[in-house]
Amino acid sequence: MELPNIFEGNYRRLLPLPLLLIVIAIFFIPSVKQGVDFKGGVLISLQTQENVDALSLEESLKSELGSELSVKKIESALGASIEINLAQSEALSRAETLKGEFFSQVDDVSRLEADAAIFESGTLTNDSLIGSDAPQKYKVARERLDSIANELFFLSKMEQKAQDAPNTNDLRKMASRAYTKINEDYQAGVRAAIEKRVKYDSISFEIVSASLSGHFISTALWVVGVSSILAIIAVFFVFRSFIPSAAVLIGATADITIALGAMGLFGIPLTLASFAALLMLIGYSLDTDILLTMRTLKRSEGHARERAFGAMKTGVTMNITAMAAFSALLILSILTNISTYYEISAVALAGLVGDLFATWGLNAVIVLWYAEKKEKEAGEAKSKFTAFYGKK
Amino acid sequence: MEKHNALKELILDKRVMLLLAITLIALSYSFLNGLKFGIDFSGGTRIPVLLEMPVDSQTMNSMIESIKTRTATLGMTEVKVRGVGDSQIYVEVPSSDPAFMKQVQSVLSQQGVYWGIVDGKAAIKGDDIFSGTIVQVNPQYLQGSADWGVSFTVTQTGALRFAQVAKGKANYPLFMFLDRPTDAIIVIKRKTFTEPSYALEGVSLTDEDLVSAANFALSLDDAEGNSIPLYFEEELQNNADALSPRTNKTKAIIDANASAEVKAFLREKGFTLLEKTGAEMAPEFLSASSEFSEFKAVIARWDAVGLMSSPYLVPAITSGTPSYSYQITGPAKGTGQERALSAHAEAKEVESILKGGAFPVQISIGSSTTIPAPLGSEFLKLSVIGAIIALIVISLIVAIRYRNPRLLLPIIFISVSEMIILVSFVGAFSIDLGGMAGILAAIGVSVDAQIVVTDELLKKGGSAHAQKKLDSAFAIIITNATVAIIAMIPLLFSGMVEIIGFATAHISGSLLGVLISRPAYGAIVEKFLHIEE
Repeated sequence: MELPNIFEGNYRRLLPLPLLLIVIAIFFIPSVKQGVDFKGGVLISLQTQENVDALSLEESLKSELGSELSVKKIESALGASIEINLAQSEALSRAETLKGEFFSQVDDVSRLEADAAIFESGTLTNDSLIGSDAPQKYKVARERLDSIANELFFLSKMEQKAQDAPNTNDLRKMASRAYTKINEDYQAGVRAAIEKRVKYDSISFEIVSASLSGHFISTALWVVGVSSILAIIAVFFVFRSFIPSAAVLIGATADITIALGAMGLFGIPLTLASFAALLMLIGYSLDTDILLTMRTLKRSEGHARERAFGAMKTGVTMNITAMAAFSALLILSILTNISTYYEISAVALAGLVGDLFATWGLNAVIVLWYAEKKEKEAGEAKSKFTAFYGKK
Repeated sequence: MEKHNALKELILDKRVMLLLAITLIALSYSFLNGLKFGIDFSGGTRIPVLLEMPVDSQTMNSMIESIKTRTATLGMTEVKVRGVGDSQIYVEVPSSDPAFMKQVQSVLSQQGVYWGIVDGKAAIKGDDIFSGTIVQVNPQYLQGSADWGVSFTVTQTGALRFAQVAKGKANYPLFMFLDRPTDAIIVIKRKTFTEPSYALEGVSLTDEDLVSAANFALSLDDAEGNSIPLYFEEELQNNADALSPRTNKTKAIIDANASAEVKAFLREKGFTLLEKTGAEMAPEFLSASSEFSEFKAVIARWDAVGLMSSPYLVPAITSGTPSYSYQITGPAKGTGQERALSAHAEAKEVESILKGGAFPVQISIGSSTTIPAPLGSEFLKLSVIGAIIALIVISLIVAIRYRNPRLLLPIIFISVSEMIILVSFVGAFSIDLGGMAGILAAIGVSVDAQIVVTDELLKKGGSAHAQKKLDSAFAIIITNATVAIIAMIPLLFSGMVEIIGFATAHISGSLLGVLISRPAYGAIVEKFLHIEE
């Protein structure tokens, strides 16, 4: 079974395919859904034996909870599971902000309170740093703190006023309790609403607060940034010339673009797991890109096109075995409903397919063009040199 | 016959032997120590604890320790607490009981309670202290020989209470408790006091001196709190009739290693057992130096009852006049840099005790994830089956591609040993879903590299020497692995615990491949192809 060398003839005809794929991918990238990790909100997963109608459950939960949500039903070998994705609750986000503000101020207010107490006790010594305005300063700061606490109490539906707290120590405890209550009430409310409609065997809540999702996003961006820079440096270090390095990086970028597009097209959400898979794809994709570039440019046996085709035979085998490994993981994810497996394997498969086109349709064309240009230049230089000799 | 020799030669090859040896070590290690699985596979609940700001590794460790201490009070032995990056901590519990989870969460978010006791009376309560005023004193403002100091201001109630209790108690110890147990007895081994582990300088102390020092530290003459009666394990049965729990919730603090009979006896009597480690049960004595002139010995620390520190009261504050601001100071150990560090650590500890054991940074409890145990084991079973199927499919593809079943053996051999090494390596810490996916991905990469080697060796125009072919294959493999590892490394430092397992497995797989198993594969295949010729 000897396949014809696709790089014979005008290899530039290979270009349109990967380019078309990239354009399609770019079109779909905006529709990549952010998972709960990055968007924030609540992801509730429950296992049930009941036959649940996802659509009507969604409608009735929406009307009771008054919050944006989506319900997904997944059938698997281990029974049906329901995924309910609730949007970030505004009250919860607000409570979190208030809590942050409260705790960033409470220590300062407590110090002012101590100053005021010492001042009022009349035990001040002359060299003390506490001025006569201490009680006034405390009053102002405390009022500011009280207004934050009161909003928190209002959200928690607790019938208490911050002004009634005899000191900041008590106020701190009250605020802490109020924040906990807001969260617990919210979870209990959602749980009760679900319990009314579905009988479940197990339920899990994954609540990602606004600050946590913000943290995930900034960390993810940091990781992508650092990874890319490191990978670019490593590639340039290996090839030490611009065009081959650029070709390798273009191949990898095209591959990630295609994988992202596939995520948009097939509705694979961007979660921490699929994010990790994308990073892994950088590695996989660079694997074949480096194989191609090294074999084509750093070797000398035969013609560049033959070397490129030889590399392709190896590279495609590599891709196919990797696809086999991830297909096993994908099938496993469908059987078990483990979303981590699904997100990693689906993204990896999409990326590996994309890699076939990006490496052999795009990267190879650039590398071959560069290799042949070099060979031609070398040839020209040689003939000029002999001509020069001839004249002499 | 010749083949036999070839096989022998192969096994004796250094590269192959190294791989075999590591595989054997990994296998025996996991047989001896077992594999650890994350709650994804073993079932349980994961509670993320989020720190309000990133902390340095020292603070992180002290956070982890204090979380461990707190959860230990619930009697949870199998709680896993691990720091993730610089701003998250994961608490994993092998249980999915919602009531229990609530308990864990409340223990985590709760503040501890500070009590300062002088001569059996509560002198300072945590609520008396303005929490914002608890600060370390800049060493240059410290007086006398002190190396560190912590100052704080109390409320009016606090000032009055302290003045009254401390009046006339110059040089008495202030027993600083954190979460001092109420309604409890403590049962210790007599040898805790007789073993000469307390080398108190130049002072000869009898057992009775030590016992009375212990009773002094445990006494509390108070309406709500109570003294903690001290009993000896050895003499417990002698006065069996006199011993009975005060309420139906009375706790008996006891060494976890105490005999089963003693434990059974206490349970039968109606006590709730609160088990502590041997180290926590042993009190730490201070020598009767000039400071504690009234006493022969004073207990400085006793973890089992929450006694954290015992500074003595300077005469100036025992006059009975209320005072608002106080300072706790003390010496540090060592010299130079070491002394400064130890002073800082001491001050930090006292600061944290006064704050009710509050964490150095604000925390919030994230959402917990629960995985039922049967589901977890089902996941594990299917994952193992998945890995085996993946291996079979890969082998089939390789067999079809090269139409040479002989190549199958080395590829399967290498992949299986890599899987064994990786599973026991990752499993020595904890295998979670991400880790499992990472192991599978690493096997994929490994087979990929083996294909590069095989293709290179099988290349036609075989004028080049096999070793040279191997070298050029390795140039590609090493470049690939380096770039892949470099691209994944930032993940390790990202603190995203969900995918750290994945990154760890993937990176260690790549390293293992380049350093050990690829050279072994090269050696094997080289020999195999020689036989062919």
